[in-house]
Amino acid sequence: MSGIGDCIIGFVKKALFADFIKGLNITLKYNFSKSITLRYPDDEKWIPHKRWRGLHTLNKDDKGRELCVACELCARACPTNCITVVPMEDDTGKGITDRIAKIWTVDIVRCLFCGYCEDACPTRALRLGRDYELSVIDIKGTFKTKKELLQQKDIPEGVEGGVIAKARFVRTDDGIKVVADLGQTKKRKL
Amino acid sequence: MIDLNLVIEVLIIIFKVVFVTMVLFSLPMPLTWIERKVAGHMQARLGPWRVGPHGLLQPLADTIKLLLKEDIVPENADKFLFKLAPIISMVPAFAVFVAIPVGDSFKIPFIEKTFTLYISDMNVGILYVLAIGGLSIYGIILGGWASNSKYSLLGGLRSAAQMISYEVALSFAAIGVVMMTNSLSLVDMVRAQDGGFWHWNILYLPVGPVWFAVFFIAALAEINRVPFDLPEDEGTLAAGYHTEYSGMRFSFFMLTEYVAMVTASALAVVMFFGGWNAPIDFRTIEILTPITSVSWIYSCFGLFWFTVKVSFFIYLFMWIRFTLPRYRYDQLMTVGWKILIPICLGAILVTGFMRI
Repeated sequence: MSGIGDCIIGFVKKALFADFIKGLNITLKYNFSKSITLRYPDDEKWIPHKRWRGLHTLNKDDKGRELCVACELCARACPTNCITVVPMEDDTGKGITDRIAKIWTVDIVRCLFCGYCEDACPTRALRLGRDYELSVIDIKGTFKTKKELLQQKDIPEGVEGGVIAKARFVRTDDGIKVVADLGQTKKRKL
Repeated sequence: MIDLNLVIEVLIIIFKVVFVTMVLFSLPMPLTWIERKVAGHMQARLGPWRVGPHGLLQPLADTIKLLLKEDIVPENADKFLFKLAPIISMVPAFAVFVAIPVGDSFKIPFIEKTFTLYISDMNVGILYVLAIGGLSIYGIILGGWASNSKYSLLGGLRSAAQMISYEVALSFAAIGVVMMTNSLSLVDMVRAQDGGFWHWNILYLPVGPVWFAVFFIAALAEINRVPFDLPEDEGTLAAGYHTEYSGMRFSFFMLTEYVAMVTASALAVVMFFGGWNAPIDFRTIEILTPITSVSWIYSCFGLFWFTVKVSFFIYLFMWIRFTLPRYRYDQLMTVGWKILIPICLGAILVTGFMRI
């Protein structure tokens, strides 16, 4: 008997377009819900979590001395051999000891951002930072040298990540850049 | 001596024709923007955003792009038909609007002339609309044939088969409305639904909703929209009948599709939702009498209600487009021949008994 009842209910539902209306309801709900699009690079920029492994940074201590002692452990740990370290002696106090890196380059095209180098680093000089806009116009630009990596990064290490920051799209002669305003952030709505 | 009355009469007609044509030519611009916005928001995206505020200038950019694009005619195509097809499909889509009433007539102040908000009130309006609307299929078939491409040809053939199947149901739905309103004229149809929403054909119980469902499904198929957009099924046919078209000729086909969507919405409103009539008859409310008794103000109200209803239907078409998947070809034929036509025949019987 229930078979016939289900049959009738099914037919009535079909005649009244029940499934169809259900589907329309769902799309209508989405139509008036907020969009999840990140308006990058015009308005917003994603600030990654602290665990993010982006471009390498070479850090300095509180007195402004380079932490890197050119021990070459990062170069040894690297599975793709993309880090080149050439040590040199220096007793002018640039580094924390009398040994600093003369050359420290990483080829970010070959780098797979595994993070072994930062694990290997005994002085916590090398960290994988949170810069992820790594595209370049010239292939030579993929070699990041010590000079660039020592510079202050856009997103300092102390900033809590996992948020969307207000951003500005800047176009200069040197290239394009998305400048994030870390003061104005909001949680991502998923 | 030239009759001044006749001159004014002719000028009014020319003005109306030019105005309607201009509106129809410019309508696809906002409609593409709205369609892409609706698509975006229904998929939790933003839609056009970067050209102008909220992407409002996007249609303008698209127009410039289409105008500047290379006009390619395939080497092995039938060149004459290839160039003719977009025009053949576009002209009927515009010609249909001659019969569609968008509002009531009113007296123009000062010159004491009646100005009708429709170009022509022909006594076979609905037949004219169906006949001319059916002609635009020639553009699609010719375009598909003349392109000399397998995708275009298959798109054109599918379109032809689909049109034939659903033209029957659409005409039956028109017969139903004619039986309910006792007139073939679209203006008389609207007048018959005067006086509040309970007089509208959609609420002519029990057959009104059935006729509307039949009409709406058939109209969806006639204007090649999802879920019946098999002629331009991008999964299997590249783009269907306009695969080989580019630039302005392609935009003529797009124009035709959007105008056809407006036509279908306008027809649904005229036939089932009371045309320019307001949901509640404002003329019966005594406080509003000084406003509604002026004929041109009342006509403006009519135009407003007509626009609102048509906008809703256009939104509904877009809404359905981003809700439903596409039908398989045999399912399309099943819906057309095995479901809609028997329902039509039954509904005609019931309507006939109700009209005795």
